[in-house]
Amino acid sequence: MPEIRVTPLGAGQDVGRSCILVSIGGKNVMLDCGMHMGYNDDRRFPDFSYITRNGRLTDFLDCVIISHFHLDHCGALPYFSEMVGYDGPIYMTHPTQAICPILLEDYRKIAVDKKGEANFFTSQMIKDCMKKVVAVRLHQTVQVDEELQIKAYYAGHVLGAAMFQIKVGSESVVYTGDYNMTPDRHLGAAWIDKCRPNLLITESTYATTIRDSKRCRERDFLKKVHETVERGGKVLIPVFALGRAQELCILLETFWERMNLKAPIYFSTGLTEKANHYYKLFITWTNQKIRKTFVQRNMFEFKHIKAFDRAFADNPGPMVVFATPGMLHAGQSLQIFRKWAGNEKNMVIMPGYCVQGTVGHKILSGQRKLEMEGRQVLEIRMQVEYMSFSAHADAKGIMQLVGQAEPESVLLVHGEAKKMEFLKQKIEQEFRVSCYMPANGETVTLPTSPSIPVGISLGLLKREMAQGLLPDAKKPRLLHGTLIMKDSALKELGLAEHQLRFTCRVHLHDSRKEQETAARVYSHLKSLLKDHCVQHLPDGSVTVESILIQAAAHSEDPGTKVLLVSWTYQDEELGSYLTSLLKKGLPPAPSGGS
Amino acid sequence: MESAEDWLVESLRLYQDFHAFDLPGATRVLEWIGDKGVFVAGYEKLKKNEILHLTLPPRLSVKENQGLFPERDFKVCHGGFSDRSIFDLKHVPDTRLLVTSGLPGCYLQVWQIAEDSDVIEAVRTIAVHEKEGSLWPRIAIFSSVAPGVLHGARLSGLKVVDLESQKVTYTSGVSDSEELSSLQVLDADTFAFCCTSGRLGLVDTRQKWAPAENVSPSPGAGGGRWCAEVRGQGPGPSIASLCSDGLLCLLDPRDLCHPVRSVRCPVSTPSPDPELLRVTWAPGLDSCLAISGFDGTVQVYDVTSLDGMEGHVEPLFTHRGHVFLDDHGTGAAPLVTTHTWHPRKPRTLLSAASDASVHVWDWVDLRVSR
Repeated sequence: MPEIRVTPLGAGQDVGRSCILVSIGGKNVMLDCGMHMGYNDDRRFPDFSYITRNGRLTDFLDCVIISHFHLDHCGALPYFSEMVGYDGPIYMTHPTQAICPILLEDYRKIAVDKKGEANFFTSQMIKDCMKKVVAVRLHQTVQVDEELQIKAYYAGHVLGAAMFQIKVGSESVVYTGDYNMTPDRHLGAAWIDKCRPNLLITESTYATTIRDSKRCRERDFLKKVHETVERGGKVLIPVFALGRAQELCILLETFWERMNLKAPIYFSTGLTEKANHYYKLFITWTNQKIRKTFVQRNMFEFKHIKAFDRAFADNPGPMVVFATPGMLHAGQSLQIFRKWAGNEKNMVIMPGYCVQGTVGHKILSGQRKLEMEGRQVLEIRMQVEYMSFSAHADAKGIMQLVGQAEPESVLLVHGEAKKMEFLKQKIEQEFRVSCYMPANGETVTLPTSPSIPVGISLGLLKREMAQGLLPDAKKPRLLHGTLIMKDSALKELGLAEHQLRFTCRVHLHDSRKEQETAARVYSHLKSLLKDHCVQHLPDGSVTVESILIQAAAHSEDPGTKVLLVSWTYQDEELGSYLTSLLKKGLPPAPSGGS
Repeated sequence: MESAEDWLVESLRLYQDFHAFDLPGATRVLEWIGDKGVFVAGYEKLKKNEILHLTLPPRLSVKENQGLFPERDFKVCHGGFSDRSIFDLKHVPDTRLLVTSGLPGCYLQVWQIAEDSDVIEAVRTIAVHEKEGSLWPRIAIFSSVAPGVLHGARLSGLKVVDLESQKVTYTSGVSDSEELSSLQVLDADTFAFCCTSGRLGLVDTRQKWAPAENVSPSPGAGGGRWCAEVRGQGPGPSIASLCSDGLLCLLDPRDLCHPVRSVRCPVSTPSPDPELLRVTWAPGLDSCLAISGFDGTVQVYDVTSLDGMEGHVEPLFTHRGHVFLDDHGTGAAPLVTTHTWHPRKPRTLLSAASDASVHVWDWVDLRVSR
């Protein structure tokens, strides 16, 4: 029965480790390969043994697709490809390809250097893994093999994030990864056409939320910065993603202008260096509208924002500084943090998730005393603010996307089924589709009715037409014929291949025993068919390639032998030739035989 | 929108906290469950409406380390579907039950919040024997071991029904067919009613119908529609009544015939939909109340600062968020459909508007130097 099978991998109900296995039209695709950031042991990786207990992953999987560079979607990739073993293609967008290795390396450094982990993937493994990557462009149909194609769609969320359509014949699945339907200033909203996939797979972590407006988040950010600066304090904003940093800069710049504020705003050198690199990535990635309103301006043509010099950190008075890295685990942002942490007038605004082991993670857990190198204890008196700027789709967003794509069914991953019964009902009622919510490790099987194109020979059609009645567009006509199918169609329908064999009887006058007749046939054919493989088998039969010739006695006439010549449909030509050859009769036996 | 940006910058000064949400459908209901959750419900005709149980973002509930809670979103805890428009919703305290009233059809619907899933299911109906075309019964809950539902669209139809047995335990027994605009349970035995004409009364259910009430409607009735609310505790006059022509009266329950104070609020009148009128007392502030239903704003007043005459009054605070953040830009400006005070945080309110927006805002008392 043709079907699509989906299994979210990984143990337990935990969120934070995206890795989904899809079987469609006989192809196997792995969607994302994420790391669970909360665990320190093997639980952080998806359970790959599920895929195939024997046999190589490379043989089983046709490709791997990575939706975006967040570690909970790509963090386990080097482990998977280099330590577990996978050599097939890995597809992702260009920005993802550029940024992934940087994040993976950062993460590796933290895990190995800061937390002293052993058995972690190495820098070389990251490089080797990235060599298997094939970068794709938006809306470009990529032919993975003859039957499997994929296409990336814009997902918003972060730079390079994409939703992927996976298509085999007439069946397709769309995987959203993380996306958002409300536009950011620098990223825009996700978009997909009415592609009507059999199945839409979407993350449902935020499916049961109603999102606070972007304006209110920005307001909160401005308020915090303003209050700190008003009381003479300093604000540190550790950032990684350049797009986000630029968005916040534009926000602050507009605000500074309107309120006529004088406190300096700085952009650290670490960011400046990466700026041109990301700028180029960005420019080809975003659409025309965003390019015009946002990207066109030079990165550093801000009136109020200047390049940072580390000496400025000691300047008295209020200021705002954007610095890397984003989790305060090293470099300039950590340096500045150490200088400013002791003053309660100051503030640090953490704009996103921080990996365990980093200073960012510790202060976000509420720690107020940190042990630094050389056993120095740092007391944190500065205000710590955790702000979430990256956008995910909430209930409304999911409904919007389902409305755009018009799938036949919807599958929600990473939610607790009991807590999403209402959403399931809502989707089912509004769109009249089935909605599935498998737990990790549970397989959902969707029966599909694939359409298989059939070619009809002109001769067959003409014969039917000759039978009289003209074809009626509204009435079906039954045709009889032989349906020949290619392997892939057979596989899709789950049918076993039939073998078509022809058997022809050739009568020969020969009063000798069957074995001798067979031997004569053998030597005759051997001499004639020098280009073919002719064999005389122990049981007396003769083969020419895969054609079988057997001699039997005629039931009524002992002077006649019957040659049974049998061949498969594929050998029709040779079979017919042999038959006509044999019908001409055998050369006279050499005298002296018995 | 330029004015939205301007207003947001202004808002830095005017509000401590501000959140704005878009519901799937506009609500006329904001009913608390505890101090961390609210119910909202849709009121569209000819469409399936949703009842949602929303939890407030955690940062609004914590006292310390607020900064460490990045989540600013409502969480949909439970949800259900209703074929009718819902105009009123009450939660039965200490139970998993809800009672709603709406149109079409004059009956009350009882709902149950599932324990092991996130679904709100309709369980039974409570018949209301008044046959009314476009009137819907107001509801209030007598919470006790055996909760009772007080309901009625007119004085003559006022009843209390035991939720479990569905037996009628109280009836007003009067033939007066005045239309009701609000009902409020005050304690185990008393409730207050307000008619659309402005007639107010306090009723003791242990006695035959003999409410303490104002016999003639308050001055300025002239076709206006009234609503009222009784304050839980606090000094001074404890009843506030509001008319759709902007008149606000403060009354003492001992003398309902003579308002302690009457003022005309600076609102655009007449209210485009007088059914949406609402006046509420602040549970956490001694002498503040809020009004809404005239336009897209919510106004907060300090009653001690109101003049004795119908003089010039200014609100202590006006929430204009629904006007300025209206993204929809089509047709009429949004109208505030309802508002409510946070049970614990003194200056925090929730307000909902006809464009399906819900705001949570904590206004700054500008009289107090910070």
